[in-house]
Amino acid sequence: MIETVLLWLFAGTALAAAALMLVLRHPMRVALALSATMLSLAGVYALLGVHVIAIFQVLIYVGAVMVFMVYAIMLLDVRDYSFARRYSWLLLPGAVAAIAFVAILAHGFWQSLPDQATGGGGPLFGVQQFSIEFLNEYWLHFELVSVLLVAAVVAALAVLEVGRRNRG
Amino acid sequence: MSQLLTTIVLLPLAGFLLNGLLGNRLGARFVSAVGCGLPIAAFAVAVKCFVDLQAAGGAPRIDLAYSWLIAGDNTFEIAFYFDRLAAVMTLIVTGVGSLIHVYSIGYMKGDKSYARYFAYLNLFLFFMLLLVLGRSLLVLFVGWEGVGLASYLLIGFWFEDPDKARAGKKAFITNRIGDAGFLLGMFVLYQALGTLDMDRINAAFTTGAPAVSASLVGILLFIGATGKSAQIPLHVWLPDAMAGPTPVSALIHAATMVTAGVYLVARMSGIYVNAPEASAVIAAIGAATAFFAATIAVVQTDIKKVLAYSTISQLGFMFVAAGVGAYGVAIFHLYTHAFFKACLFLGAGSVIHAMSGEQDIRKMGGLARKIPVTFATFTVATAAIAGIPPLAGFFSKDEILWFAFASTRGGSGLLYATIATTALLTSFYMFRLLWLTFFGRSRMTPEVEHHVHESPLSMTSVLVVLAVLSAIGGFLSIPHFLEALLPLPAIVPALEHYETPLVVASIVLAFAGLAAAAYVYGGAAERAERVRLRFPVLHRILSGKYYVDEAYDALIGRPLVWISERIFLGFGDRTLFDGTLHGLAALGRRTAAGLSRVQNGNLHLYALLALFGIIVSIAWGWRHV
Amino acid sequence: MLIAVSASLFALGLLGVIARRNVLVMLMCMELMLNGVNLSLVTFAQQTASAAGAVLVFLVFVVATAEIAIAIPIVLLLVRRKAVLDLDAYTDLKG
Repeated sequence: MIETVLLWLFAGTALAAAALMLVLRHPMRVALALSATMLSLAGVYALLGVHVIAIFQVLIYVGAVMVFMVYAIMLLDVRDYSFARRYSWLLLPGAVAAIAFVAILAHGFWQSLPDQATGGGGPLFGVQQFSIEFLNEYWLHFELVSVLLVAAVVAALAVLEVGRRNRG
Repeated sequence: MSQLLTTIVLLPLAGFLLNGLLGNRLGARFVSAVGCGLPIAAFAVAVKCFVDLQAAGGAPRIDLAYSWLIAGDNTFEIAFYFDRLAAVMTLIVTGVGSLIHVYSIGYMKGDKSYARYFAYLNLFLFFMLLLVLGRSLLVLFVGWEGVGLASYLLIGFWFEDPDKARAGKKAFITNRIGDAGFLLGMFVLYQALGTLDMDRINAAFTTGAPAVSASLVGILLFIGATGKSAQIPLHVWLPDAMAGPTPVSALIHAATMVTAGVYLVARMSGIYVNAPEASAVIAAIGAATAFFAATIAVVQTDIKKVLAYSTISQLGFMFVAAGVGAYGVAIFHLYTHAFFKACLFLGAGSVIHAMSGEQDIRKMGGLARKIPVTFATFTVATAAIAGIPPLAGFFSKDEILWFAFASTRGGSGLLYATIATTALLTSFYMFRLLWLTFFGRSRMTPEVEHHVHESPLSMTSVLVVLAVLSAIGGFLSIPHFLEALLPLPAIVPALEHYETPLVVASIVLAFAGLAAAAYVYGGAAERAERVRLRFPVLHRILSGKYYVDEAYDALIGRPLVWISERIFLGFGDRTLFDGTLHGLAALGRRTAAGLSRVQNGNLHLYALLALFGIIVSIAWGWRHV
Repeated sequence: MLIAVSASLFALGLLGVIARRNVLVMLMCMELMLNGVNLSLVTFAQQTASAAGAVLVFLVFVVATAEIAIAIPIVLLLVRRKAVLDLDAYTDLKG
């Protein structure tokens, strides 16, 4: 019972923070709103019993990605046109399309999905069990993703190089 | 079965191939030997076939050469048919042809395209033999077209001169217009009778009443004949055809090709006997053409043009004979005309050769003593064409006049009057030509006069042979020879007793022409001038050849060019076709330009469009799942 | 219900990409989209009790990290060129 309430609470927070993201003017505040969304989502995951993902959400997303994001925002504190005028000229069509999108998805999913239960998950989503499952069944994906990371490192290096040459 | 007829046809073809492919490499001697030897061989084989024919009592001989096309029930074969009529034609074609080939050795000596000339001449002979020996109208038509082609090639032989090339083109195109009628006639015949074999067609028309009007077919075939034989309204090419070398004019445009139309009518006598309307048309056109051409010939000043109009006129005579049912007489005149006209043309060639290329008779005169052999043969031939007895022309022309007057199949006083007047004019202008060229004081320029010389033996020998034939040829009565095949028409009984007076009248007309010409042109030069000044308008019309060429150009030529340029080129090609293509291309370009405005570099727009895409795909997927 | 939330998060993220001018804000909205997808994956994983969903979420984490790690330097370099964070300034690839 309490879990359902908490679930709704966290979900609601996530939505609210997301909506806030769209409205706030200062990028820093937008970043904070995004962090709030992410944290709420972590709470949702935890309530659903998928603990390992919840932990990783906080660690990786909030801990690394958002920090990097904040750092970039601080670096690029440019008060320009985009500060004064937040929205592009496609706000209205975009809004309409987004509503339509949600409507269509909802319409499609309405009948077919049961309400999910909270809790559950259980040992399947404990760290140890998860890792075993991961590396047994999905080791190929693991390897491929590490290749992706290597690519990302190389790309970052390439970007840096370019920057260094321009500066230098 | 021996293929003698096929041999006759193929010998000149071999000459064409040998001279055409190897002539330039092997030199003039080889070309002359092959070019003349093969036609002479063909003549020998023709004589052999003729002897065989006589031995067989005139029964026709058919040689099947090749089955050309078998389509279901229809068979088209290349077969050759030799009866008395074909014998006469073949002997004329190969005999006179061989003589003209020999003449050409002397005339074309030194020309840079010597081999090409003999190749074309042999090619012409091949096609002409196909024409006269063919059994089916289809083979005849192949020969018909082929001689048109050879004529084009030979008229435009010195094609570097654009006028000469244009003359060749004119000849070919005018022929083709006539051929349209010929083709239609063939189609109608084939559809009605299922065969194009001429002997079978004749039999079908004489024995039964076939499913097609004889007059219709007759007129259609005659349209082809007007094109080939230069009758009104398709006569305009023959005077221009004088641009070719003179032996060509002699062979093609006097003795053989232009007579193909007469041969066609005579051969298809089965049709024309049963087609009185068509025959009346033929006689009328023949007479009109004869008169018309003779009037123009009176004022011509180029020696070859006079002879060209004379040819048109004589062909008119032949058609008059055919039109009144006297086909044998038409062939008789064809036969005598071949001799004296060839002699006249070759004599003119000799004169031109002597005069170093001058063709205007106003600049000649007094040549009689200087080139005696040419003069003598030319005189004999002129007398023959004028109808002076007992030369060949007198007999044939007299028969034509007689039948034109008294034949039950269309003879009339008007017809007789027209061609009698024409005969008078013929005599007049031919003797005018003789006088102006050979008699009187010399009007030549000094350098020309200095170079005047008699032609070499290769040329003069042929002239002599032809002159002799013109003299004695009339004694061979061709109409009687052909009577079994081409019966002479009956004579109106009431007019039978006019025969002798008419013969006397012909003689009188011939001598009257001679006398008039001698009077006007034999005396002082001013007499001719005075006559001319007395009728200035008439003279202008005649000199302008009744302005027929100009009329054709204005009424047909220019409108056609206008239609082609404005409607077909301007509107049809440029606007419709090019316009459609350009329009389509422009449409593609404009569409692309319009559509490419989506790519404006703005990420917001791209994201929105991606969202639209997602919505559409989800909606689509969920509708159809 | 959570699916609806996930769809809404995704839609909001996409709307943000379409509607906000600031480049960095756009990047953050893209992260929001990814989060929405993660939520739906987790929901399905939990409902069907299969590990595949969780694994996929994990992979999405990695990809998102890599993406951010590259995207921000790119933005830095772009801004260095034009000194403006407004997306409408960056239309050099038009046509």
